[in-house]
Amino acid sequence: MIGFVLRRLVQLVPVLLIASLGIWAILYAVPGGPVAGLVGENATPEQIAAVTAQYGLDRPVVVQYLDWLRRAAVGDLGVSIYASEPVVDLIGQRLPATLHLAVAATLVALALGIPVGVISAISPGSWIDRALSAWSALALGVPTFWLGILLILWFAVDLRWLPAVSGYVPIWEEPLTAIRNLLLPAITLGVYVSGILARFLRASLVSELRADYVRTARAKGLPERQVVGIHIMRNALLPFITIVGLMMASFIGGAVVTEAVFTYPGLGRLLIQAISTRDYPLIQGCIVVILILYVAINLAVDVLYAYVDPRIDYG
Amino acid sequence: MNRAWNSTLWLLSGLMARPASAAALLFLAAMVIVSLFADLLPIDPFAQRLTDALKGPSAANWFGTDELGRDIFARVIYGARTSLSTAAAAVVIAASVGIPVGLVAGFFGDWRDTVLMRFIDVLLALPAILFAMALIAVLGRSQMAAFIAVGITGIPNFARITRARVLSLRKSDFVTAVEAFGGSSGYNMFRTILPNAWSPILVQVVVLCSVAILLEAALAFLGVGVAPPTPSWGEMLRTGKSYLYEAPYYAVLPGVILTLTILSFDVIGRALASLLEDRHDAGGVQIERTAS
Amino acid sequence: MRLAEGTANAGPVLSVRGLKVAFAVADRHVPVVRGVDFDVYQNEVLCIVGESGSGKSVTSLAVTGLLPETARVEGSITLGGVEVNGAGRDALRRMRGEDVGFVFQDPGTTLNPVLKVGRQITEGQVALSRLRPAEAEGRAVELLRDVDIADPEQRVRQYPHQFSGGMRQRAVIAMAIAGQPKLIIADEPTTALDVTVQAQVLSVLARRQAEMRAAVVLITHDLGVVAQVADRVAVMYGGRIVETGPVEAIFRSPRHPYTRALLRSIPRMDTDEVRLDPIPGQPPMPHALPAGCAFEPRCALGSGRPRCREEEPPLSTVASEQNAACHFVDEAPPAPKVHAMARPKMAEAEAPPLLDVKGLKVHFPIKSSVLQRTTGWVRAVDGVDISVRAGETLSLVGESGCGKTTIGRTVMGLVQATAGDIRFDGQSMVRLGPADKRKARRRMQYIFQDPYSSLNPVLPAEDIVAEPLRIHGLYDEMGGAERVAELFDMVGLSRSMLSRYPSEFSGGQRQRIGIARALILAPRLVILDEPVAALDVSIQAQILNLLQDLQAELGLSYLFIAHNLSVVRHISDRVAVMYLGRIVEQGTRDELYSNPVHPYTQSLLSAAPDPDPAARHSSRRIVLEGEIPSPAAPPSGCVFHPRCFRADARCCAEVPAFRPYPGLATWTACHHAGPLEQNPAALAEVSR
Repeated sequence: MIGFVLRRLVQLVPVLLIASLGIWAILYAVPGGPVAGLVGENATPEQIAAVTAQYGLDRPVVVQYLDWLRRAAVGDLGVSIYASEPVVDLIGQRLPATLHLAVAATLVALALGIPVGVISAISPGSWIDRALSAWSALALGVPTFWLGILLILWFAVDLRWLPAVSGYVPIWEEPLTAIRNLLLPAITLGVYVSGILARFLRASLVSELRADYVRTARAKGLPERQVVGIHIMRNALLPFITIVGLMMASFIGGAVVTEAVFTYPGLGRLLIQAISTRDYPLIQGCIVVILILYVAINLAVDVLYAYVDPRIDYG
Repeated sequence: MNRAWNSTLWLLSGLMARPASAAALLFLAAMVIVSLFADLLPIDPFAQRLTDALKGPSAANWFGTDELGRDIFARVIYGARTSLSTAAAAVVIAASVGIPVGLVAGFFGDWRDTVLMRFIDVLLALPAILFAMALIAVLGRSQMAAFIAVGITGIPNFARITRARVLSLRKSDFVTAVEAFGGSSGYNMFRTILPNAWSPILVQVVVLCSVAILLEAALAFLGVGVAPPTPSWGEMLRTGKSYLYEAPYYAVLPGVILTLTILSFDVIGRALASLLEDRHDAGGVQIERTAS
Repeated sequence: MRLAEGTANAGPVLSVRGLKVAFAVADRHVPVVRGVDFDVYQNEVLCIVGESGSGKSVTSLAVTGLLPETARVEGSITLGGVEVNGAGRDALRRMRGEDVGFVFQDPGTTLNPVLKVGRQITEGQVALSRLRPAEAEGRAVELLRDVDIADPEQRVRQYPHQFSGGMRQRAVIAMAIAGQPKLIIADEPTTALDVTVQAQVLSVLARRQAEMRAAVVLITHDLGVVAQVADRVAVMYGGRIVETGPVEAIFRSPRHPYTRALLRSIPRMDTDEVRLDPIPGQPPMPHALPAGCAFEPRCALGSGRPRCREEEPPLSTVASEQNAACHFVDEAPPAPKVHAMARPKMAEAEAPPLLDVKGLKVHFPIKSSVLQRTTGWVRAVDGVDISVRAGETLSLVGESGCGKTTIGRTVMGLVQATAGDIRFDGQSMVRLGPADKRKARRRMQYIFQDPYSSLNPVLPAEDIVAEPLRIHGLYDEMGGAERVAELFDMVGLSRSMLSRYPSEFSGGQRQRIGIARALILAPRLVILDEPVAALDVSIQAQILNLLQDLQAELGLSYLFIAHNLSVVRHISDRVAVMYLGRIVEQGTRDELYSNPVHPYTQSLLSAAPDPDPAARHSSRRIVLEGEIPSPAAPPSGCVFHPRCFRADARCCAEVPAFRPYPGLATWTACHHAGPLEQNPAALAEVSR
């Protein structure tokens, strides 16, 4: 087991290396590059030269990259140009908010997606299946930012129940306020993902229902409750784990839009700011952290999967 | 050629036979026609009349007016151009890179597979929206930048779907047969496997259209899409959100059209998938018999 | 047999009357079973035989209400006196758990992959409160021991993927007998298994059934299996039982023209028929049944007769306990045609062989999934010499995983040889450049097993057949469309079918297309990989005859790869028996079948079920222990030694050389080679 995890970790190294190199190449290979962002548009050649030297940008690109990599390996992602603070600190401030939202949205997605998927799979083609499938389509088709706007219009503008702008409050400090703040963004994000989950679960349940072992289970006199609840569910939930993991991973950086709608102080909005101010160290830092989290969640899912599925030999 | 024509007819009649996909198809057809011929309509998305700013829907302005007094309906129609052209460009970019990548990776399955799919993994690891934003930050805001950004994020899906299909076909006896008769790898990939792989690819084309439209709107909503004053649905939602109290229709009505467009592609995509799957269940290609 | 044991007054365990099943397809009902009556008594084995689409499997599922909801079931099914059709959910469930045990066809998919085997065996009984959860594991161990699974205490805690195919099927049998059922239904229980494993599984099933005195309904297409295990037989065709009777009567004096034709169309091990007598045409599709007798279009007796065409014959008594559904049951069948076709003369042995394979090894690397390191080698083919002379048929026969298909593919150039040489027409193929290889391949062609997957579904038949011409740029040179049409004539397909797509052809017709495609470049050698294994018995005979005709007409050489010993005997001049990547015995057909000297050949021949019920009492059967080891970790010494009844210490250590057996025209690789009779002591030990 430990060996399996270690091997997986080793495998991640090339992915992260290629990815960081890719980001680096894109950001630095472009005309203008970081210097243009640093000095502003009306800079004199002397200013440009000074800034270039100050940030070590006159060195060969490979040396710069290796230098960045060496420092990144020990947790130093540089200093934000715009905020003049270490990138690691800036990200550290936003990460808890992002994790709060990710967990809350996952809960909403599971609470909505699993029942919808299971109920519509039990009787494929029935009116209830068609109604629930239409619901999933709607959940997927409505853009999150528009759904967010509608929710704000209704719950904040009309009913004045919930705040239109969601701040970050740690749940262990003021649970109620935290929930009030998280509710709308979590629903916005969760509804969309519940559509994906419901669709996926329905499809895998329906295909499992046709499997031979289901006939065997019925032939030995098992009640339908056990046939579906144990035999089919165990098989259908295995791939479901992967999907849930992927969804959670995508919340880390992919919630940019939802965060923008609710002006929620997450990692995504930090990245938008970084991009709009051309704050290169911050852009790199955000993307690398998002990638690492994404990859870590995927690893956790792989390990969990191998643990749950007896067919996978992780020896 | 005749075969392709028959298949198209068969698919269209299959889509028209279901109420939901028929409605979606008609809606999209209307959108395409209107956006192609928008210049012929008596509407102007750019004319500003500040005196008429933020007026609700009326006979003159069906969807009301925006903060500069421009007709929202006209901007929605012209916004369709932005959306649909992004979708088309994204499909072309994503398919023309993704399909060959998937084909080569799946067919050879050796180091070429490892290398190509590693790159695809990296593309997938970054959420599409972030990738697109980073790219636009580099390229600058323009229609072309939006096309490229959205197109590149669609590559992994085409590559993976093509590869999966190729892998399942690769071991079939009819592919081995061509090899046994001395057919080259290129012949096998393009003449034998690809014609058998088009159904999941076709579904993916439709799926990518809806994803591309959503992504373009999201980029515009975040303020990094096409540059103003080019009308874009996402941009309208972004501005509309600032006037939620004064003019709620501003953010709601363009959103309705955007949602309907995305839903239509989704409905058609699913209908296609189930049509093509039924055909496979019936044992290979049934198109000829049904259509002729 | 059944009435002789003092159960005369007991009623049938299962009684089926007027069973009809129709499936809703699109907006109409397609009848699949059309009025079936039968009874099964305690301690009796009823075999239902039929080809695909005859309705045999649907009948077995209908009996326990396991059909999907799209099926409409009519008629009466009584199990132990209780009506099943229309019974409530709970009653059905109780009946399945208590009175019926099921054995399904494919052991690879009938078990749930993510639940432990032990749990799956007993959970039905636990759910019905017939077994306490605390006792479940102990009972599962007991049941696994009953079906001859070694080390059952360990095995109950394993998952299905840790079991081999034969063990899985035995676990399914354990599951079926867990509730001591009155009735066991087995649907093609050994079709997916190798012949030596089939013998084990059938013997376990027979022993447990005899112990419980259970009634058995066994569904199969294999007349050999029927002859070995049945007490009574019901022959199904087009959704009806066309003949039923005691097994001896069915095989000795079949009365229905279909039964007679079916028995004549199978190749047999005990006769030297020169040519098979196939049933013409195709079995009917359920949605396009003829109006009268379903067999009329293919019948030697009734074809064209107005009564047969218009009126469906009822099942009526023709002899004691024997019923047949035929209008002209008393009419003598037309005498079978006398086939005076001589076998193609064997080529002279002195002539250099057309194909000569020397010391061939094919090893595949095993890659670890994570870092793609090679962690071992699968020795698929491990040192094989074969040769095929012009105009002859050499068969490679063996069970799954023995490497026979890999040899065919390597000769064809689809797989890279690890070592050894392949010479075709005097030219070495191993080190040819791509262009020369392509050219050489023109004279060598391949026919695939599965007629459904070997034809490109998006091309019309004419393009499929013409594809080799186009690939080699010879389309115009070799006659183009006219050449394609000629090939259609040659393989017995109508020219009107040229522009149809593969999905519009039946299995047998598709195989004819495959043959036409292989012959269009006028090859000298054809490699046939199980060309009839996927076909129905009656169609199989048509294709085998066609292959023989083409060989005679065109002077072809065949490398024939198969697992079915009767088919191999029918078609071959010489036979090579393979086991785990090596040839263990090779000789002329007659020598090998009448005087096998390698223990594996002997057990293989003895395990193949003979379609003759008399044979089961007279012949002693060798049931091999265990299953074929993995070619990734072959046993030391002689690879067959762990399963061999003659093995001793030498066999474990020393690889036997492949050399001529004195006094016979046979080569073999065995330290203790010799005819079976020489070893009576060893034999007594292994035959149960």
